[in-house]
Amino acid sequence: MLFPTLTFGLFFLAVYALTWAVRGSNEWRKILLLLASWVFYGAWDWRFVALLIFSAVLNWGTAALIARTDEEWEAGRRKALLVFGVAANLAILGFFKYYDFFLEQLGVLLHQFGFERDMPLLEIILPVGVSFFTFQGMSYLIDVARRKVPPASLLDMTLLMSFFPHLVAGPIVRASDLIPQFRQTPRLERGMVAMGLLLIVWGLFKKAVVASELSVNLVDPIFFDPSAHSSLDLVIAAYGYAVQIYCDFSAYSDMAIGLAALLGYRFPFNFNQPYRARSLQDFWRRWHISLSSWLRDYLYISLGGSRGGVWKACRNILLTMLLGGFWHGAKWTFLIWGGLHGIVQVMETLWRKFRPQHWPLMPAAIAIFITFHIVTLGWIFFRAETFDGAIAFLGGIGRGDWGATIATPLMIGLILFGMMIHFTPPTLAQGIALRLRSVPALLLGLGTGAVILIIDAMRFEGVAPFIYYQF
Amino acid sequence: MSDEHHPSPVDLPGEPDTHGRPLVWTSVTIAVATLFLGLTNAISLNGWAVELAPTETSARIVTVTESWEETTEAIGLAAPRAWLHARWKQLQALRFEGQDPAAE
Repeated sequence: MLFPTLTFGLFFLAVYALTWAVRGSNEWRKILLLLASWVFYGAWDWRFVALLIFSAVLNWGTAALIARTDEEWEAGRRKALLVFGVAANLAILGFFKYYDFFLEQLGVLLHQFGFERDMPLLEIILPVGVSFFTFQGMSYLIDVARRKVPPASLLDMTLLMSFFPHLVAGPIVRASDLIPQFRQTPRLERGMVAMGLLLIVWGLFKKAVVASELSVNLVDPIFFDPSAHSSLDLVIAAYGYAVQIYCDFSAYSDMAIGLAALLGYRFPFNFNQPYRARSLQDFWRRWHISLSSWLRDYLYISLGGSRGGVWKACRNILLTMLLGGFWHGAKWTFLIWGGLHGIVQVMETLWRKFRPQHWPLMPAAIAIFITFHIVTLGWIFFRAETFDGAIAFLGGIGRGDWGATIATPLMIGLILFGMMIHFTPPTLAQGIALRLRSVPALLLGLGTGAVILIIDAMRFEGVAPFIYYQF
Repeated sequence: MSDEHHPSPVDLPGEPDTHGRPLVWTSVTIAVATLFLGLTNAISLNGWAVELAPTETSARIVTVTESWEETTEAIGLAAPRAWLHARWKQLQALRFEGQDPAAE
C-alpha cells in the first residue's frame, strides 16, 4: 500500500475517523492503530506481520528483563541480555538481508581456491522495512540498558515498531520520542495540522511529479544502458538521480511526518536541505537525520567515538560509514558508497585538525559545490546495479561525448527545481503553516483539494515504489 | 532518565493556536478536500477502480465510478483537471532544438 495512491487515501481516512472516534480511551485508540498498522503491512505480505510481532515481543521482553537488573550488582547480566537482544535483532536482519550475499561471496572465494560448490541459496524475500524496524528495536534495547528510557508496555512497544506512517521507510523514530506520546491521549493543534497537511501535499508533489518523471523518463533508461548514451546524458542522469533520490526519500518522510501529525503524533525531522551542506559531515546532519543520528549514537559512540585521539576517531568514522553503507543492502556498490563518504569525512576530520591556522577557510559556495559533487559521485555507485555498471557509467562520462541528449526542457527544469528548493529559507514551510492555521476549514479544504488536483493532473501514470522500500 | 527529544517540523515556533476546536477544524478540512476531489477528479477514482482485482464487488464499483466520471464530464466538473493535464502534456512534449519530437 503506497502513500500516494487512492487505496492508501481511503485506508487513512478510515483510520483517521476510527481513531479519533474512540479518543475517549487511549488504550483502544492504540489497539486500533496497531491493527491498522498490521493491515497496512499485511497488504504487502501477511506472512511478515508475524515477523513484526515476533520482533516487537522479543525486544519488549528483553528490555523488561534488562530493566529488572540491578545497575550496580548485575552489570554482567544486563550486558549479557543486551548482547542477546542486539544479536537477535541482527540475526533477523542478517538472515533476511545478507544470508544469500555472504553465501555468494563464499562461493566466489571457494571457486578461487579451486573448490566448486553449489551454495544453498534461499532466495529469501526481503521483508519491507526490516532494516528500519530492527534498528528501532535495537535502539530501544540500548536506551533501556543505558537508563535513557523506561521500559514500555507490550502495546506501546508493538505500536512503536509497527506504527504504519514510519513502518516501511522511516524516519527511525526512537522510543524516547514516541513512547511518551503513546502514554497520553494525543491532542490536535491547528499549527501541527497545517504543517502536517503541507508536508503531505509537498511530499506528494515531490514523489508523484518530480521523482517519478525523472526516474521513468531520464534516470532509469540511462542507468540501464550507459553505453548507449552520450557523456552529456550521463552527467544529466547523475544530477537527475541526485534530485530523484532526494525527492523520493524526503517525500516519504514528509508524508510520514504529516500523516502522523493528523493522528496527533510528532515525528522528528529527517531531512534539512541536504544539498546545501558545506561538507560531508554537514551533509549527514541534513540527510536521513534519523539514520545518521542512530549511527552516531549507537555505533560511532559505541566504537569509542572521538575518545582516544584523532586516528581512532577516523577509524570509527570509516567503520560507521562502511556499516551505514552496508545497512542499505547486501551489495558491494553500497559498501563503496559508504566507504567514499567515510574516506571524505576522515579527510575533513584530518583537515580540521591539521589545517595551518593562517590558511583561509573555503568560501561557502565552493564548499557546497564540491560537497554536492562528491555526494553525486557517491549516488552513481548507490544507483548502479553492479560495480561494473558504475565504472561503465563513469567511463562513459570520461568519453567526452558532449553532443546530443535525451533530456527534455521539462527534465532540466525539474532538476533545477530540485536543486533550487535547497536554497529557499529553511523555515519557509513553517512560515506558511503559521499562516494556514488561521484559515477557515472550508477554505483550507478547498485549497488542499485544488493543490492535490493540480498534482494529480501532472503525476506520472502509476506510482513506482519508494526507493527506500528496498532497504 | 534523560528527556531526550528530537525536534519535529510540526512543532511551529511561537505560541500554539488554541482557539476553536482543532479536531473539528481538521475534520472539516479533510472532508472538504475529499469532497472537492470526488467532484473534480472522477477520472482518478475510476482509474483506481479499474485496477482493482476483478470480482463481483469491484465490477459494481467500476460501474458506479464510470457513471460518475461521465456525469462529472457532462456537467463540466472534470474540465479543470483535463485542462491542467493537457498543459502538462504540452510541457512534457517540449524538446530542445535538434531533438526528435515526442512520440504521439
